[in-house]
Amino acid sequence: MQSLTSQIITNSLGQVGLTVLALVAGVVLIELLVYLAAGKIFHAKNALVYMLLAPAVIGLALLIVYPIVLELRLAFSNMSLRRFKNPDYGLAQGLDNFKLIFTEPVLKQVMFFPVFLRTILWTGIQVVFHVTLGLGLALLLNRKLLLKGLYKVLLVIPWAIPQVIACLTWRGEFHFEYGFVNILLKAVGIPGVQWKSDPFWNFVAMNITNIWLGVPFMMVICLGALQSIAKEYYEAAKMDGATGWRKLRSISLPLMAPILTPAVILGVIWTFNNFNVPYFINENHLETSDILVTALFRAAFEYNRYGFSAAFAIVIFLILFIFSAFYIRFTGALKSVRG
Amino acid sequence: MKKLLFVFLILASVAPLVMAEVTAKDLAAVGPTSILFWTKEGEADQALQFVKLETDLFSRLYPNITFEVANKDVEVLRQDFQTASLAGSAPDLLWTVNDHTGPFTTADIIQPVDTLFNLKKYVDAALAAVTLKGKVWGIPISNGNHLMLLYNKSLIKKPPATTTELLALAGKMPAGTYPLVYNQTEPFWLVPWLGGFKGTVFAKDGITPTLNTKPMVDTLKFLKSLKDRKIVPTESDYNGADTLFKEGKAAMIINGDWSLGAYKDALKDDLGVARIPKVAASGAWPAPYTSGAFFMLPKDLSGDKLTAVRGFIQFVTGREMQVEMVAKLSRLPGLKDALSDELITSDPILKGSSDQMVVGTPMPTVIEMRANWDAMKPEMAAVLSGTKTAEAAAADMQKAAVAAIKSLQ
Amino acid sequence: MEDTLVVRRKRSLPVRLLMARIEGESIWFRLLVNIILIAACVIALYPALRILAVSLRPHDRLLSTSLAIIPPDATLGNYHSVLFEKDFPLWIWNSLLITISTSIMGLILSATSAYAFSRWRFHGRSGFLIFLLTTQMIPAAMMMVPLYIIAARLGLINTYTGLVLSYSVSSIPFSIWIMKGYYDTIPSSLEEAAMIDGASRMYTLYRIVLPLAAPALAVVFLFNFMNSWNDFLLARIMLQRPAVLTWPLGLQSLQQQFQTQWGAYAAASILISIPVGGLFLFTSKWLVSGLTLGSVKGD
Repeated sequence: MQSLTSQIITNSLGQVGLTVLALVAGVVLIELLVYLAAGKIFHAKNALVYMLLAPAVIGLALLIVYPIVLELRLAFSNMSLRRFKNPDYGLAQGLDNFKLIFTEPVLKQVMFFPVFLRTILWTGIQVVFHVTLGLGLALLLNRKLLLKGLYKVLLVIPWAIPQVIACLTWRGEFHFEYGFVNILLKAVGIPGVQWKSDPFWNFVAMNITNIWLGVPFMMVICLGALQSIAKEYYEAAKMDGATGWRKLRSISLPLMAPILTPAVILGVIWTFNNFNVPYFINENHLETSDILVTALFRAAFEYNRYGFSAAFAIVIFLILFIFSAFYIRFTGALKSVRG
Repeated sequence: MKKLLFVFLILASVAPLVMAEVTAKDLAAVGPTSILFWTKEGEADQALQFVKLETDLFSRLYPNITFEVANKDVEVLRQDFQTASLAGSAPDLLWTVNDHTGPFTTADIIQPVDTLFNLKKYVDAALAAVTLKGKVWGIPISNGNHLMLLYNKSLIKKPPATTTELLALAGKMPAGTYPLVYNQTEPFWLVPWLGGFKGTVFAKDGITPTLNTKPMVDTLKFLKSLKDRKIVPTESDYNGADTLFKEGKAAMIINGDWSLGAYKDALKDDLGVARIPKVAASGAWPAPYTSGAFFMLPKDLSGDKLTAVRGFIQFVTGREMQVEMVAKLSRLPGLKDALSDELITSDPILKGSSDQMVVGTPMPTVIEMRANWDAMKPEMAAVLSGTKTAEAAAADMQKAAVAAIKSLQ
Repeated sequence: MEDTLVVRRKRSLPVRLLMARIEGESIWFRLLVNIILIAACVIALYPALRILAVSLRPHDRLLSTSLAIIPPDATLGNYHSVLFEKDFPLWIWNSLLITISTSIMGLILSATSAYAFSRWRFHGRSGFLIFLLTTQMIPAAMMMVPLYIIAARLGLINTYTGLVLSYSVSSIPFSIWIMKGYYDTIPSSLEEAAMIDGASRMYTLYRIVLPLAAPALAVVFLFNFMNSWNDFLLARIMLQRPAVLTWPLGLQSLQQQFQTQWGAYAAASILISIPVGGLFLFTSKWLVSGLTLGSVKGD
């Protein structure tokens, strides 16, 4: 056991403080250098711009571009437990990796397409539930209520609790004997469900947990969007004799779209890439509950197939990229960037 | 002249054995050293406390040497040690199980101990469990690490001797009590029964998996029948089984020697140890895997740290501490000398434990074993949850193991 | 639009119910709405209450089929064990250090560069912005292998620096995006006026614009704080030694397969959830508006 001694405190502060100071010093230095270089050597008109941009550009190059380049290189290698220090790089290894992804199990038995389809199913189910339940709750809350403030605080609790804690807790609560889910089921006469060992029920458990976690976020977004709609629209509609459902369809939803759409897209991406929920709820490491990102983690860090998982990661990224390209084309989201 | 040469040669051959041990003087000369020590022993088994006791005692003898002890579950320990070592950030000492030898030597992250210790002191079977490619990679602390049948005398006077008797217990226990519990999620609990049905996971060459066999199918069917007849709970992990037994809600548990300390504490004189019941169909005793707990040294350990670690290992595997371990944790010692201690011959728990060990089989050390474990685990779960037949599961296990071994190349 | 000339008085309950009736909603409907909301609140709250229940159970009765929220033999023993016998204070300290450093780094690298994106049009600007948007899609899971290898080669595994740099991978693009969005809403007339009066660009940036952008800076800091505070995946890869574990890894060590320490886990969870949850609730309005800041077009 390590207690938090004053020595640890000073050591760690020193280490971290040094890093931050080095960073600040580095940023200032880079900015100065770039400014002088741009101004005096290149006689650029916008020396200031380059100066301001330089630290971020260099930072991103080091932190994002370099790792991506390394990932590409790794994908064309056979780095593994046996060959960590001196892997072989080459086209042959790369093609081998990519071929293996689609022809052999990515873990021990599960193949690529089932995992991919499961990820899509998972994302679809989650987004549908998040939006419908979130919107539903928001519609209910969008009126004068006695306990409105209390409701809003309590309903946000799943979002406020750190995700790791929620996942580990739900994992415990799906325990056959001692988790409250089965205890409640048994109390109403339903025999206990094997949440941990049955592939189907484990998938259901994952979904239940993530619905519990994700609905508050959607609810808050929808509520904010609803409250930003001016009351006149509803009053005008009422005078025209519109029913509640009509109001929802023709006024609320269209006017909520500008705020709702980006939130839904974010939700799709977050759910697709959600690591914590599938990883923790799947306590028995059932491969049938893995989605793409958890399969990637296992391939890399439980089976040490670093080269293979680099190729795997690139495939996942391409999938996401194609999806986003379609989305951007459809909705013209780039227009706001070019402006 | 010839005589002198002769004497010199004799001395030279003995010298390594003599020099292999570090002396108290060496240890006293060591500068302030902190040893980062990872152990698989946990608090719930009362074993982590024992490890800390040993480090405390050692530090009192040699105040310059301090320890940071951390407990990590066996799988987490393997993964974390690999992740940290490959990045050059390995801990200084491991207390772990023998089948880690395979992955660790493949990744080249531990060092052989042949020249660092006097290996003749230790039980041969234990040393064999960590011998790979002609070198010894670990020092035995305890011998066994094997599964056995533990029972609560207040709930069941005489444990079943055969599987027929075991299956006959269905419905005979008071309401809310299970006849038997075990960790249904790990194949470590499957292999004893496989041995009982006269099957093995490897062919004679020790590296080709033989999982798609009739014994395996029979084993899987047997385990499913235990569930179907409500002899064991519908779903049970390690923790659930452990708790049920400690709380008196299960008459018997199949668990390992690492848990004996805690069960002695919880059940006191009501704890009994017996062999896992003989398989009636084949007439063979189930053969749990035997290995033990071992010290392993990271590859780049050297200098003061190496000296300190060697001194500590000698201390823990010295007769005094080994007998202490036998008394506190009821484990069989790795030191030959301690086997003759009267504690072992007089303690019924230890008697039962070594009785089970006699019919056990050594756990394979090769890295291909990893492929077998990973292949068996999901299939075992599938059969128990009723989503696969035993035949399909056995076939899939074999396919998965072969694929995994291929990917290890 | 509210009628600001009319003073609104708090009406009594019967009057309000009547008004609700007039507004076209029956009492039964309102009752139904409240019942549904209460049910939803119970669903939202129950698992949290269960953690509380487990944390209060005595050491020898941690696994139990009782559903009592406050067990009859409630004890604070688990809290004591977590605070004084486990490394909980150490985990919190490590997490704090790493999280605050990450947030500071995010601010430093984004505050001034986002300004450049907002105020100038230059070669490669839209390309760079699209690049930033694309990086939002890259999950941490994808970067984990190269980040691990790079950190391993630089000897940064099991160090704070390694993890801070890993978190910065996702925090910097995000921070730039948020700050740029906010700068876009600040009219450039302010700076132009100041520059006519003789102030330099840098002066206006530091003295005028940054103070105005303080809410956005707070949002960026908060977002990066929450994201790196709660992260498990990257921490798992970078940290194995007990001395540097962050709290998610610490909690996981209390929930191992063969050594589950339910009581300690539950107590630690409560101790973490209450301040974090409180902070979250307190700032949730900001966090939500911060997410939509990027989609606001200022020009």
